[in-house]
Amino acid sequence: MATVQVRDLKKSYGAAEVIHGVSMDISHGEFVILVGPSGCGKSTLLRMIAGLEDISGGTVSIGDRVVNALSPKERNIAMVFQNYALYPQMTVAQNLGFSLEISSVPKATIRQKVADAAEILGLTSLLDRKPSQLSGGQRQRVAMGRAIVRDPDVFLFDEPLSNLDAKLRVRMRAEIKALHQRLGTTVVYVTHDQVEAMTMADRIVVLRAGSIEQVGAPLDLYDEPANMFVAGFLGSPSMNFLKGELVPGSAARMQLESGETLALAARPEGVVSDVVLGLRPQDMAIDPERGTPAKVMVVEPTGSDTHVLAMIGDTEIACVLDGRPGIAAGEMVPLSFASDKVHFFDPKTEARLTTTGLSRAGAGPA
Amino acid sequence: MSATTTFEEDNITPARRRDPLLVVLWVALVTVAAIWVAPFVFITFTAMKSNSDVMTTSAFSPPTDIAWENFSGAWKKGNFSNTFLNSVIITAVKVPLGLLISAMAAYALARIRLRWGRFLLVFVLFGAMIPFQVMLAPLFTLVNSLGLIDTYIGVILPYLAFGVPYQVFILHGFFRAVPKELSEAALIDGASHFTVFRRIFLPISLPVLAALLILDFVATWNEFAMALVLLQNKNMWTLPLGLMSFQGQFSNSYGQLNAAIVMTVLPAVIVYLIFQRYFVSGLTSGAVKG
Ligand SMILES: Nc1ncnc2c1ncn2[C@@H]1O[C@H](COP(=O)(O)OP(=O)(O)OP(=O)(O)O)[C@@H](O)[C@H]1O
Ligand SMILES: [Mg+2]
Repeated sequence: MATVQVRDLKKSYGAAEVIHGVSMDISHGEFVILVGPSGCGKSTLLRMIAGLEDISGGTVSIGDRVVNALSPKERNIAMVFQNYALYPQMTVAQNLGFSLEISSVPKATIRQKVADAAEILGLTSLLDRKPSQLSGGQRQRVAMGRAIVRDPDVFLFDEPLSNLDAKLRVRMRAEIKALHQRLGTTVVYVTHDQVEAMTMADRIVVLRAGSIEQVGAPLDLYDEPANMFVAGFLGSPSMNFLKGELVPGSAARMQLESGETLALAARPEGVVSDVVLGLRPQDMAIDPERGTPAKVMVVEPTGSDTHVLAMIGDTEIACVLDGRPGIAAGEMVPLSFASDKVHFFDPKTEARLTTTGLSRAGAGPA
Repeated sequence: MSATTTFEEDNITPARRRDPLLVVLWVALVTVAAIWVAPFVFITFTAMKSNSDVMTTSAFSPPTDIAWENFSGAWKKGNFSNTFLNSVIITAVKVPLGLLISAMAAYALARIRLRWGRFLLVFVLFGAMIPFQVMLAPLFTLVNSLGLIDTYIGVILPYLAFGVPYQVFILHGFFRAVPKELSEAALIDGASHFTVFRRIFLPISLPVLAALLILDFVATWNEFAMALVLLQNKNMWTLPLGLMSFQGQFSNSYGQLNAAIVMTVLPAVIVYLIFQRYFVSGLTSGAVKG
């Protein structure tokens, strides 16, 4: 059973601590994605699991062994790097078979395993090529092939798709997921791309500045983010945050800093006044009856839907509107939002506040 | 062709228009090449002429009938079979051994975390900054006190000491530029540092190694000052020493003298021709970026 357990893991470079006591449990066969902005310590964390980086504090266990003191090769892991790190002077077949060859596996077995891996990844016709004769996507596949021939306990991926173009990335995403379903090996996958995280992960670990912000299934994090950071990080375009004050009284109303008043179908539990309202761009719509007037700044049609950047007062609002609403920059449009899908955050702690629904549905200006 | 059509052609294919700077560069290149080749042509031609031909023909006129006996004569008179063998032994041991030591040291300094790594590197590089001429006298004393004067090892060890720092400097720079993921991937694949060195680093640094090998071969093959100090016995002399002695004795048999020079230079040329294709092909194939 290849579980991965990280306990209170710390990493310092000299005096600077970059990982501040991270703990997580990854169960056998799980696909876990570490996600966060650049420089938050994703790669460092992964490299500590791999044994490429010394551990400053805490423990890493793979299976039921604490592996802190073990070298990378004793951990039975495989890693795919962002730049693929293929051995340039070896052919694809030699690249795939290298790990087996140096652990003196018989030649016939190596050939068989390499052929199998090449078959799975569609590399059979490329086995005699050198890495320099491959396209980016093919190199990426060779890097994965090198990982799977070893039959490791854990796969570690460090941004394996970020060097590919957008189309290929989508395809490789599906292929990696299919590969995981087929092999059932535990995967720890690092990316800064929240779409990759949302689409591929069984569980997402959101990191910020060396600490875990939240752990959970993709849709749980999307629907119930623990704080403004997670809410803003997951989902594209990012969630809109509107600062304001709840108007006292039973019906939920909120006065924005710019003066507009919004009616809400929910309000935070307990007695609060200052809040940050979180609205997903996808939950916005044009509604002539109840919408708040907003000035359209930018219109970006994608074909299937339309991304609009608008201003309510002096707050910028991103919206994803269905279809082609036929609006142009400079126009005023009445914007409304699905008020049962709002989030409230504490402006000081940035934590999400639990909401209670109100009876009245629909929303708009009061 | 009229002026207008030329003008139009220039407009259509601007790449074909001769850049004046490029022409200047080409002229410069040809001039430099001619200056370099001239003595070589002179020496080779003279080596193949009889003494009377040397006196009567121009230095750059090709020999009419080739005087092969210059070579055999010089070989015998100059005791070349002996000096040649000494040079071969010393070079054949020193060059590969020095390159291997340098490469391993450079790998360790570039890729293995060592407590005193930085200090060691500076220390080694410091060695490359000392001109060996100022070291000749103490070097003699040292080698003498070890009883190694007039031995192969007594020359090879100082050659290694003075050759390694420069090679470590070059190879360390090259190894540092190899993406670290490459060695990390191999370490994860189960390779030891020695395997990483042998299977990954040596093959991708082939171009650099070939260049260093050529340079080191020529330097070792032609080395004069240290050999002069450390090899006193005529039977232990290397080619440059033998050549100098030959020059002193037979300075007016031009044909033989130049034949001796050709024979001294020829192995270096052959080594160059053998190994240059590695570094030329290596430099153009983008070995590291793969
Ligand atoms: N060798 C080092 N010395 C000092 N600080 C380092 C070193 N390596 C990384 N860091 C710091 O550690 C932090 C985490 O780096 P890491 O590479 O893990 O980020 P990341 O989340 O992978 O970012 P990215 O998405 O850009 O790859 C960064 O702030 C970085 O500056
Ligand atoms: Mg990274």
